[in-house]
Amino acid sequence: MIGLFWALEPVLLGCLLVCRFSDLAAIRPAWVRLLLIFGAGAAGGIGLTSCLFFIFGVLLGSLVAAMVLELALLAWVAFGVYRRPIPVFQSGEDAGRPLLFPVAAGSLLLALALAASTAWNGWAANPHGNWDAWAIWNLRARFLAAHAGVAQRAWSPVLGAITHAEYPLLLSSFVGRCWAFGHSFTTLVPAVTGWIFFQALIALAAGGVAVLRGPTLGVLVALVLASTPSLLHEVPSQYADVPLACYFAGALVLALLRRPVLAGIFAGFAAWTKDEGLLFLAVFLAATAVFRRRDALAAIAGALPAAAIATFFKVALSRGNGYLLSMSVPGAAHRFAIMGRYETVIAAFGRGLLDMAQGWYHPILSLIVLAAALRFARERRREVAFSGAIGATLLLGYFGVYILTPLDLTWQLQTSLDRLLVQVWPVLVLTAFIGLRPPEAAVTVEPVPIQKVSKKAGRKSRR
Amino acid sequence: MELGVFERKSVPRYNGLSPLMRGTSKPYPLAVIAGVVLVSLLCLWGSFESYGFEAVYQRQNSDPYLVGQQFVRLEALLSAVPERAELGNLTDASPGSTTDSAMFLGAQYVLAPRLLEKGAAHDLVIGNFTRPDDFAALGQRYGLRLQRDFGNGVVLFGKEY
Repeated sequence: MIGLFWALEPVLLGCLLVCRFSDLAAIRPAWVRLLLIFGAGAAGGIGLTSCLFFIFGVLLGSLVAAMVLELALLAWVAFGVYRRPIPVFQSGEDAGRPLLFPVAAGSLLLALALAASTAWNGWAANPHGNWDAWAIWNLRARFLAAHAGVAQRAWSPVLGAITHAEYPLLLSSFVGRCWAFGHSFTTLVPAVTGWIFFQALIALAAGGVAVLRGPTLGVLVALVLASTPSLLHEVPSQYADVPLACYFAGALVLALLRRPVLAGIFAGFAAWTKDEGLLFLAVFLAATAVFRRRDALAAIAGALPAAAIATFFKVALSRGNGYLLSMSVPGAAHRFAIMGRYETVIAAFGRGLLDMAQGWYHPILSLIVLAAALRFARERRREVAFSGAIGATLLLGYFGVYILTPLDLTWQLQTSLDRLLVQVWPVLVLTAFIGLRPPEAAVTVEPVPIQKVSKKAGRKSRR
Repeated sequence: MELGVFERKSVPRYNGLSPLMRGTSKPYPLAVIAGVVLVSLLCLWGSFESYGFEAVYQRQNSDPYLVGQQFVRLEALLSAVPERAELGNLTDASPGSTTDSAMFLGAQYVLAPRLLEKGAAHDLVIGNFTRPDDFAALGQRYGLRLQRDFGNGVVLFGKEY
């Protein structure tokens, strides 16, 4: 159970840091504020403690320094929050919730309860996770948690010959940290970590959309994500895809809420989570530079620390391992010119999108119904273009990787495409929701200038 | 230092109460009510479908590569080999097969931080076999001496000098 404590303590640390150093605490109403603080704090806290453990516990070899630093940071930030409490608004400031809100909120609570049961079944059946969990992520966490000074085996070329020792280490480092601090290799830690990331993803999406597009759409976006079958399937697998999806969605939401530093921090953590996160970081910063030029520098500043760790790891530590990108270079022109590969990949992408369904239910149905009922809002075109460009470029990047891969294409598609779609799916859902007209807009009485009112009244009286 | 120092004052930020959070004064159009209710029902349907499918799927795919059993099989070996050791690995599973990969990676997962490398090029080599055999004779073929048989197809070889 002590391992569980160390898995939950970063959530507290992250939430306190968000309260202390960001102004998300100024957002109202309270439930939206709490969702955003929890979402940003949980995922941010896990990312931060993973980095601290990697630097102090693994690279500098001092587990004690890593733990003391973390606890000192927790005490300092808790004191800061205590000294400067979160602003408390009068309850009257939070206006009454619209009529449709309870319908969507009740459904969300039920969907989350079912998601928890679904995940529980997965953990009970496979406590060590699915193949990649024990063959890559948790295996490397066991090396990082070792007290014998052999943590560098987590990226050893010997390991790289049989598994992906070149993958970034945010998840493995976090799980290894909990195991090392807790002196126990409990399977609860990776299971709970996956669940926290899932909850943070839901919270960030709900909170962000609630601010941008109203409370009903905020709850509905959470509902759509919490009931996406392929996403639910990945939660208990203990892979890095749900954490990555959380960082993708979090960076996007925070950028849309005009918190570029926090958004950049999330994009940096994505780069430290998985190779696809490096692509996301580049795409995210490019999209910010194009669509939100004023925020670009702040986003870069936020991304820098975690991106620097990821780059150092790739360039200096794990360079003895084969990278998919470098392996793809020889013969790339030949593979690029084979039209059959394009057909195979396009067909696989189509099948992958269809396979996100469970039985007759496909999550796209919900988006179609909402688009038909609410229509899209024109004034959100720029935000939709920003998030849509990120999602589309990511998919295009994944498409290109499949075209150029030197590995067996069919095998690679079969073993990875469904997970890549899970990573991008929340970004695509958020894009759709950002563009929708909120239900509240249909019932908000627009203020009419007095002149117009009196003219209309005059015309009526003349008739 | 506030994170906000990086952000320009002129950039509008979403703080306070969004206009969309304020009270409403007109009844919802029927299409909007129908849309939201339908989406709520659709999503709940998806949740129930997923729950039903995953319950069966997970029951049928409970630890398919027997990772949990490796902790029992390799338990005695854990105490016999130091944590810093680098070990070779011999198996009778057909090379490149799923069984071969699952046995090797499963053993690596359980034995970490000990590092496994396929082949017999180390002073200590573990034998991870699917069926009983004359392990001593098998080891001799690779210049190895059988140090200990832990049962269940798990043995430890040492280099013969």
